[in-house]
Amino acid sequence: MLIVLLTYAVVAVVCLVGHRRSDSWAFPVSVLPHAVGFVWLVSVAPGVLDGTPLVASFEWVPALGLSVDLRVDGFGLLMGLLVTGIGALVSIFSVGYFPATTDRARVAGLLGCFAAAMLGLVWADGLLTLFVFWELTSVASFLLIGTDDRSATARAAALRALLVTGAGGLSLLAGLILLGLAGGTTTLSGLVTADPTGGVVPVALVLVLVGTATKSAQFPFQFWLPGAMAAPTPVSAYLHSATMVKAGIVVVARLAPTFADVGAWRPIVVVCGVGSVLLGGFRSLRQQDAKLALAHGTVSQLGLITILVGLGTPATTYAGVAVLLAHALFKASWFLAVGAVDHATGTRDLRRVRGVRRSAVLATGIVLAAASMAAVPPTLGFVTKEGALEGLLEGGTGWPGALALVGVVLGSVLTVAYTVRLTVGLLGDAPHDPATDHAGGHDHRPGVLLVVPPAVLAVLGLVGGLAAGPVGAWLARVAASLDPASSDGALYLWHGFTPALGLSALALAGGTALWWATRSATATTDAPRSLSTVGYDRAYEALLVGSRRVTGVTQSGSLPLYLGIVLLTVAAASGTAMVVSRDWFDWATVPLANSPLELVACAATALGAVAVVLARQRFGAALALGGSGYLLALVFLLQGAPDLAVTQFLVETVTIAVFLLVLARLPQRFSGAPDWAPLGVRIAVSLVVGLTVAGFALQASTARTEPSVAEEYVARSEPEAGGRNVVNVIIVDFRGFDTLGEITVLAIAGGGVVNLVAAARREQRRKQLLDGADVEDLSGRAPEVWR
Amino acid sequence: MTGGLALFVAAPLAGTALCFVAARSRTLQRSVALVVAVGVTVASIALLVHVDTVGPVTTSMGGWPDAISITFVADRLGALMLVIGNVMMLAVLVYAIGQGSRDEQSPWYAPAYLALIAGVSGAFLAGDLFNLFVCFEILLMASYVLLTLEGSDDQIRSGTTYVVLNVVESLVLVTGVALVFATTGTLSMAELPERLAALPDGVALGLSLLLLVAFGLKAAVFPLFSWLPDSYPAAPSPVSAVFAGLLTKVGVYAILRTQTQWFPDSNRTLLLVVAAATMVVGVVGAIAQADVKRILSFHIVSQIGYMIAGIALGGVAAVAAVVFYVVHHIPVKTSLFLVDGIVEQDEGTSALDRLSGLARRSGLLAVLFLVPALSLAGLPPFSGFIGKLGVVTVGLDQGEWWIVAVALVVSILTLVSMMKIWTGAFWGAAPDTDRDGVLRHHPLMAAVTWFVVALTLAVALFAGPIYGFAERTAADLEPVAATPSGGGAP
Repeated sequence: MLIVLLTYAVVAVVCLVGHRRSDSWAFPVSVLPHAVGFVWLVSVAPGVLDGTPLVASFEWVPALGLSVDLRVDGFGLLMGLLVTGIGALVSIFSVGYFPATTDRARVAGLLGCFAAAMLGLVWADGLLTLFVFWELTSVASFLLIGTDDRSATARAAALRALLVTGAGGLSLLAGLILLGLAGGTTTLSGLVTADPTGGVVPVALVLVLVGTATKSAQFPFQFWLPGAMAAPTPVSAYLHSATMVKAGIVVVARLAPTFADVGAWRPIVVVCGVGSVLLGGFRSLRQQDAKLALAHGTVSQLGLITILVGLGTPATTYAGVAVLLAHALFKASWFLAVGAVDHATGTRDLRRVRGVRRSAVLATGIVLAAASMAAVPPTLGFVTKEGALEGLLEGGTGWPGALALVGVVLGSVLTVAYTVRLTVGLLGDAPHDPATDHAGGHDHRPGVLLVVPPAVLAVLGLVGGLAAGPVGAWLARVAASLDPASSDGALYLWHGFTPALGLSALALAGGTALWWATRSATATTDAPRSLSTVGYDRAYEALLVGSRRVTGVTQSGSLPLYLGIVLLTVAAASGTAMVVSRDWFDWATVPLANSPLELVACAATALGAVAVVLARQRFGAALALGGSGYLLALVFLLQGAPDLAVTQFLVETVTIAVFLLVLARLPQRFSGAPDWAPLGVRIAVSLVVGLTVAGFALQASTARTEPSVAEEYVARSEPEAGGRNVVNVIIVDFRGFDTLGEITVLAIAGGGVVNLVAAARREQRRKQLLDGADVEDLSGRAPEVWR
Repeated sequence: MTGGLALFVAAPLAGTALCFVAARSRTLQRSVALVVAVGVTVASIALLVHVDTVGPVTTSMGGWPDAISITFVADRLGALMLVIGNVMMLAVLVYAIGQGSRDEQSPWYAPAYLALIAGVSGAFLAGDLFNLFVCFEILLMASYVLLTLEGSDDQIRSGTTYVVLNVVESLVLVTGVALVFATTGTLSMAELPERLAALPDGVALGLSLLLLVAFGLKAAVFPLFSWLPDSYPAAPSPVSAVFAGLLTKVGVYAILRTQTQWFPDSNRTLLLVVAAATMVVGVVGAIAQADVKRILSFHIVSQIGYMIAGIALGGVAAVAAVVFYVVHHIPVKTSLFLVDGIVEQDEGTSALDRLSGLARRSGLLAVLFLVPALSLAGLPPFSGFIGKLGVVTVGLDQGEWWIVAVALVVSILTLVSMMKIWTGAFWGAAPDTDRDGVLRHHPLMAAVTWFVVALTLAVALFAGPIYGFAERTAADLEPVAATPSGGGAP
């Protein structure tokens, strides 16, 4: 198992890294891992089908229950065979398909990465393992849809696919984690055994179903899939019809036998499924672009398979597995055939395609694949559709089952109609019309590499139908791994005149009639703008516009506003503390001041600060600031700290001196206040902050319970540190490292200022050189932020 | 190992002094910076191993007893942050030498950068509350200088916002520190938990909120974040890379310490709301931008929300998730800015409407961007997935549905904006044909970016052991009542 995944990884890395000169080897080489994987799977198949799954487990993050748990059981085997087998054919096809102008090594490497991730997904047993590979396939799909990254359509489609499936993946993740927590397990197999019930399980299942619906392009999330057709056709054939879009079905299939009865599972599965079946069918019928028509058909068919495996009865589970196989074969065949047609004729427009019949192999392939898609006997499509109808007729699932039956029959009618339309359109010769004819010289017969892979797949569909007995028995062993009760399922080419046969005949007749009736109806080649697409686009647009609006508010660029927010937050913090403290704190115990002089000094200091703010002229503000500082020194003095007072005095003096030097170079007046914050508002903010912080500080300072370390400092200062001034001892000894840090701060700040002055000179010179103006005023360099 | 912790601060400071002296020789300055950065990086790795196997290390400055002197303490959290910080700062130093921009040529660059190393290292090792404040001052002052080295109008403008708001932050912090000292009578971080627990409700709450405002502003949480996206984009790429990766995380580190060790089980709802708002407002801002650097700057804010959410949830599992998240986030964020630096070096812009088709011109650069971009959005199998998984699992386990829902929605919105960069700058036709060649940049820049991206991959690959370490770290941080698991309990 590991070897298979490693082979993919190695080849992918080789492709992605080693494509400097030539890349024609990339696709041939990329067949290798598919072949290795396929052969390995065939070799282990007997044991696996006998009910002994292969298990591999690697620890990753045990603390989160995150490990890579792989488990190849019967269903994993079938999916693995499809991934590797169709992968090999797609790689062979790609050798002939991609022109040298494409970055072939990149596409081949990404396809290899995708295949490895997809194998991991279908083999995943760990809940988180599943999610890991799930998102990996989404990313690979994103990069592959964007192969033609010069096209804006392709880019948008890739992004849409990634976001829809990525978001669904997160929903899946939440659902899986919840299921895991509820079941006390980290694996799918453990979950099925534990069968958890209880409050969160129904919610978790809805989350899981949202995830699977996005990935398998189910209504109402189907809209990303037609857009994904911007990918090269081999990529679409592989990812968007045969494998990746089956990922949701894989999860549904593994959970349904256990959880189908819980909560809203069945109604959701059936309503979404029927919605997809009908919507896809109608859309396909109106589509002239063969590839887009197929994409809509895929939505429809995926709906059918989801319904079958989602209903969760043994019979429908079995039928679901069978239809899944049939669909993978004929749909991949169809896509490759359309790719070959496109390559040969230069168009996929059903009204223009001509001359496909010249390639007998291709034409045969198309006819056989069409027969299987329309469920015409004796193809695999027919026998599996019969099985599906049988399973649905069996009932036992209430109204969802009945609705499902109606939906499937109507869907079959539509399927027949669009299949006939596609087949006639591709194989019939459009009339020559010089106006619409593709530029001459493009028509050529498709090469052998282009026609054989689709033909092989189509022939397999025929053989599978003819050998319905053995194939059915084999599939029963596969389905038994999902639900042991499915092991008695069987497929019949003929099982008498049953209601199912009647419904099949009805579908064929009705579908043909529908095609005849609508054959000349107006049609379109555009990817349709369904309601969901419009919804997505609107949501995306609203997201962009809304984000801009919100950010316009939060990110105004106004420094006063930012400051206001920060200050009010501080006020809120202190204010809350004050409110909480009011039970034990008595304001009456707070003395107003130790002496009248102290009161006067404090009030004067505060007034000085107010004057700074009110001052219109810079000079006045600087003086008021200095005055306030000197008064503060007086407060220190009154508190009995003369050395501190002296320090404060000196610092103020130096600061004023510096201010006066700088002020000479600045405009006399401050720039005006912003209109939105008039003086009153600013004063209010200041008052609130000042009062709350001061109030809280008062409360806090009475709350001391333990002795302060300051007493230790005083006690040790003289005997141990040998200094009588305890402040000095603290600064240079007890806490000397702080002082070192502050000195560093000063030094760095000094360096920064010197640098800025030098930069300002440079800037000034530059401006003078530019316009010869005398730029003396340096204050205008950051005015905007002050608004 | 004992006794040497101060060297993690002292050595870079000595380097700063040397660089001031050697202001005339760029080569000498570079050599000093490199020698110091390599030295402290190697030493910090050794310290981390020692702390994990033997136990925490404490250094008391000046030989005074612990409670009196300034102490440096290296426990698991501190040592881990020290290692990541030093490795990142060394990487960016080398990158900047490769880039050789005008900023790097300035004689003030090396001293300021070394002071930044000293400040960041000191903050992670500080065992004394006031010393933590001093270290914040050092790193802030160094960052002011680094932010405005070029002195262009744009830098002055954003530098003004940065400086003014961060000075306010210092003011709030020093007020908080003073009040903590006033109420508890100690600054020793080892003694604080016990003494703070004895305080009346309102006082403990007020102190925790004041410190939260101060550290929250540094970490750029809602509603205190606006300065960050306005100022980081103006800095040269290497500087913004180290700011983006590290500086906000110093704030997160401080919040983590204070909330888990000093004020356990408080502010849960408040922090959850703040976390959710931070995530949303950041990612919404990112979506609104059309410039690589601005998008990335807003994502710093958004990602901080996840870490705050983990801190809010609390408990060993949640704190372990936060520790892992921080470990993963720092190299991821740094590498994204380094990639942007390479793009800007060649294209002269980081505006999305002027960039196009980069993937075609340099597939390797595309990979270097895509890996951390997807990691940032939390896509598996990258490291961001594991980080988010940790937070989300704890959230679901504790029944906090709404924060999980917000986290997941923000995750997809993160993907939206990262893919906006990808589809805008890396996909599409190259704008003009004459520049269709390979991107021009110094090999050192690419090598460093490779190294950091490889580091993010290594974080994902060895997530098991790293997460185990994160759990041991979280157990250490539990309030004393719970016995720490694993060796080396303080």
